[in-house]
Amino acid sequence: MTEQNTNVMVRFLTWFKHNWSNSPLFSIFIALIVMVILQTIVLGFDYPTFGDWFQSWINNWLNILRNNASIAIVALGMTFVIMTGGIDLAVGATLVTTGALAMTLLDATGNGLLASMGITGWGAIVITIIVVIAFGYLLGALIGVTVSRGMVPPFIATLGAMMVFRSVTQHYMQGASPRVPSEFLLISNLKIGDYMIMPIIYWLVIAAIMYYISKHTTFGRQIIAVGSNERAARLSGINVKKVKFWVYALSGVLVAIAAIIQVSRIGSMDFAGSGRGMEMDAIAAAVVGGTSMMGGRGFILGTVYGMLIIAVLNNLLNLFGVPPLLRDAFKGAIVIAAVLLQRKEQTS
Amino acid sequence: MLVEMKHIYKSFANNHVLKDVSLRINEGEICALLGENGAGKSTLMNILGGIHQPDKGDIYLDGNKVVFDGPAHPINLGICFIHQELNLINDLPIYENIFLESEYKSGFRRVKHTYMIQETQKIFERMGVDLDPRTLVKNLDSSYKQIIEICRAVIMEASVIIMDEPTTSLTDSEIERVFAMMERLKEQNVGIIFISHKLKEVMEVCDRYTVLRDGKMVSEGQVADVTTKDLARYMVGYDVRTDKLVREREKGAEVLRAEQLTCEQKFRDISFSVYEGEVVGFTGLLGDGRSELFQTIFGADKITSGKLYLHDKEVKIRSTMDAIKHGIGYLPRNRKENAIIKDMDIVENSAIASWEKYARWGIIQHAVHKEKLSELQKTLKIRMGNYSNNITSLSGGNQQKVVLAKWLSTNPKVLVLDNPTQGVDVGAKEDIYDIILRLADEGIAVIILSSEATEILRLCNRTYVMYHGHLQGELTGEEMNEQTMMELATGGAASISVS
Repeated sequence: MTEQNTNVMVRFLTWFKHNWSNSPLFSIFIALIVMVILQTIVLGFDYPTFGDWFQSWINNWLNILRNNASIAIVALGMTFVIMTGGIDLAVGATLVTTGALAMTLLDATGNGLLASMGITGWGAIVITIIVVIAFGYLLGALIGVTVSRGMVPPFIATLGAMMVFRSVTQHYMQGASPRVPSEFLLISNLKIGDYMIMPIIYWLVIAAIMYYISKHTTFGRQIIAVGSNERAARLSGINVKKVKFWVYALSGVLVAIAAIIQVSRIGSMDFAGSGRGMEMDAIAAAVVGGTSMMGGRGFILGTVYGMLIIAVLNNLLNLFGVPPLLRDAFKGAIVIAAVLLQRKEQTS
Repeated sequence: MLVEMKHIYKSFANNHVLKDVSLRINEGEICALLGENGAGKSTLMNILGGIHQPDKGDIYLDGNKVVFDGPAHPINLGICFIHQELNLINDLPIYENIFLESEYKSGFRRVKHTYMIQETQKIFERMGVDLDPRTLVKNLDSSYKQIIEICRAVIMEASVIIMDEPTTSLTDSEIERVFAMMERLKEQNVGIIFISHKLKEVMEVCDRYTVLRDGKMVSEGQVADVTTKDLARYMVGYDVRTDKLVREREKGAEVLRAEQLTCEQKFRDISFSVYEGEVVGFTGLLGDGRSELFQTIFGADKITSGKLYLHDKEVKIRSTMDAIKHGIGYLPRNRKENAIIKDMDIVENSAIASWEKYARWGIIQHAVHKEKLSELQKTLKIRMGNYSNNITSLSGGNQQKVVLAKWLSTNPKVLVLDNPTQGVDVGAKEDIYDIILRLADEGIAVIILSSEATEILRLCNRTYVMYHGHLQGELTGEEMNEQTMMELATGGAASISVS
C-alpha cells in the first residue's frame, strides 16, 4: 500500500517537474495558486460559520476582480501588441480620452452633447457606446498607421501619441465636471442575483474571444509569425502591415471598452490622473503571464493569470497595510522575479 | 601544435552522439571533418572548443593530456573556433572587430586606435589581404567577413583553427579567396579543421579527411587516395548519384513572362519566359541580383518599370499575398532568417502560406492543414516526430522539406527555389532534387536559383546567367556547361547569348 503511494508520489513529481520546466503557463498557474492560498490565509478563518467565511471570501474575490476588470481588458490588447514585437504606451492616455468623450456625450448637467441634440435615455447610451468604441478604434488606428505605414518604432509612436492624447484631453476638460445619467451606471453596476459582476463578465467574455482569436484565426497566428520573424512572415504571404495595424486598432477598441466600464462604475473620471501608469500595469500583466517582449511568444491565458497575480498582490499589500507609496516596489519585484523564472526555462 | 582527440564518447540524455571517435590534426595540415547533419561533427568540435565535456576519452596537445574547463581555455591554448554564424559586429570597423577580445587581454585602459590599426595592417600584409582596417564590417562582402574572422584567430596566435562550413554563403571567387588564405595559414604551420558539405572543395583544399556517421568514425585517410564519390558513400553509407537528372520534355504552354523588368539599384531590363513542366536555372555570382529579381516578382519589393505576364495576361503583383494568389511560390535563401518561424510548430510552419486560402471567416482549418502535411510528409520523405513539435527540433534538411511543403500546399504554378539545398546534407539533397523533378513532371514551372554549377547542370533544362543585375545570356543543350556559365557570370563573352 505504502509502496503504491510512493509510486504515485514519484509519478506526480516527475509530471510536475516536466510541466514546470516545459510549460510556461504551468509555472504561472502554480504561482497564481500560491497567491490564492496566501490571500485565503491572510483573509483569515475567524468566522462563526463556514457560510459566513465563504461569503466573505467570495466577496473579497469579486472585489478584486471587479476592481481590475478594466485594466485586465487593456492588458489583453497589450498582449497582442507585444506579441508582434511592439508596445503600446498610449493605452492610459487613450483611456482618459475615450472616457472624456463618453462623459461629454452623456453629460447630465445640461452641457451634454447628445442631450443638446435632443437624444436622451437609453438611445443616448447606446449611441455613446458605439461612438466611444469607434473613437477608440480611430485612436488605435492612428497609431497603427504610424507604426505600419510610417515605419515609426512602436515605442516612439505610442509615446508621442500618449503625450498628444493626454495633453489635448486635459486641456479641453479642465474645469469640466460632467456627470453621467444614472442609467449609464447600470452597465457596470447591474446586480446579477446579489452580486455586482458585470465588469467581470465583460472581462471573461473578451478574454475568451481573444483566446480564440489567438489560437484559431489567421489574424491570431499571423501575429505570432510577425513577432517571431517578420521577414519570413512577409515572404510567406502575410500582410505584415495589416497585422501590425490591426493589433494597435484592436488595442484602441479594448481600451475604449475599458473606459466605458471605468466611467460607468463610478460615474466620474479624474481627467488628470486616470489611466496614468496603466500602460505599465498592462505590460506587467502580459510579461508576468509569459509574453516575450521580443515578440513571437505570448499567451492570452497567461495575461489573465498575470493580471490575477498582480491584482491579488495589490489586495494583499492592502490587507497587510503596506503604505501605498511602497506598493510599486513589490509589484516591480514580482515582475522581475516572474521573468527571471521564465528565462531559466528558456535557456535550459 | 599537434592535437589529438582519442576515443571520445559523448551522450545527451539517452542519445549517444559520439561513440569512440578519434581525430588528429597535424601542424600545417588541413583536415576535413565530414558527415551528414546529425553525424556528430558539431558535438565533437564543441568538445574541442571547450563547450562540452566528453563522457569518456581524452584530448592531447603535443602529447600532453588536457582537460578544458570552459570555452576560454582552448582559446588560450591556441585553438580557435570560427563558427558558421560569424561573430562580427557590423557597425564597428575591421580593426576593432579583430581586437574585440584581445583588447582586454593587452590590458588597455584606453582603446588605442592607432596601435590597433597598425597591428591589423601588419596582419593583413602577412596574410596578403588588401583592405583598409578602418572599413566598417557591414560594408564587406561575406568572404572578407570570413577572412576577418581568420585574422582574428591569427592575432590570438591560434595554432589550430576550426572552420565550420566557411563557404556556404560564398560564391566561387570568394571561396578562392578564403582558400588562398587557408593555404597561407598552412605555410605558417597552423593546423585547420575544415567542416564542409561541399566535397569538391574538400578535394581541392584538404590534406586528410575524417568521416563521421551516426556518431561513429567510419573512415579516415589521405584526400589524395579517394574521390568525391567515395567520400559521399562514406558519409551516407551507400552510393550517391552524381548523374544528370534532367529529362527532355515537350515544351508546355508559357506560364510566366517578364518584359524589361527593372528595379533601380538591383537589376535592370530583365526579360525571360518560363514554360510549364520546365526546370529553369538562374545562376551567377553573389550580388548578381537574381534573389532580388525573384523577390520583386514575388511582390516583396516594388518594380520600377517593366511588365509581368502570367499565362499571357499582364499581372500587377503588389504584395506577397498577391503573388501566392496568382500561383507563384518563392522558397527563399537563408532558411533561418527568411523562412523559418522558430516560435511555431511543424504543422504551422508548413501551413502558414495557405492559412488564408483554406480559412473560413478567418478561422484556420487546423485539420485540413494536418491532413495536407501528412500527405506531403510521405512524398517529401520528411523525417519528424509529432506535428506539434517545434520546427527547430528538425535537422536542416527536414526543415527545408517543411518549407517546401509550405509552398506545395499553396498549389503553385510557378515555384521559385532560391538555393534550395543550402545547409542540407547529401541524402536530403537528392530527395529535394527528386521532388523538383516530380513537380516539373506535374506541370509546375520550377525556377532554381543557385551558384552551384553542378546543381544547375544536373537539374535544369535551360539556364539564364546573371551578372551585376543584368541578364547576361541564356544557355541550352551543349552550351550549358560549367565553363560557359562561369564566363558569363563573370561578365565576359556576352556574345554567346542566344535566345
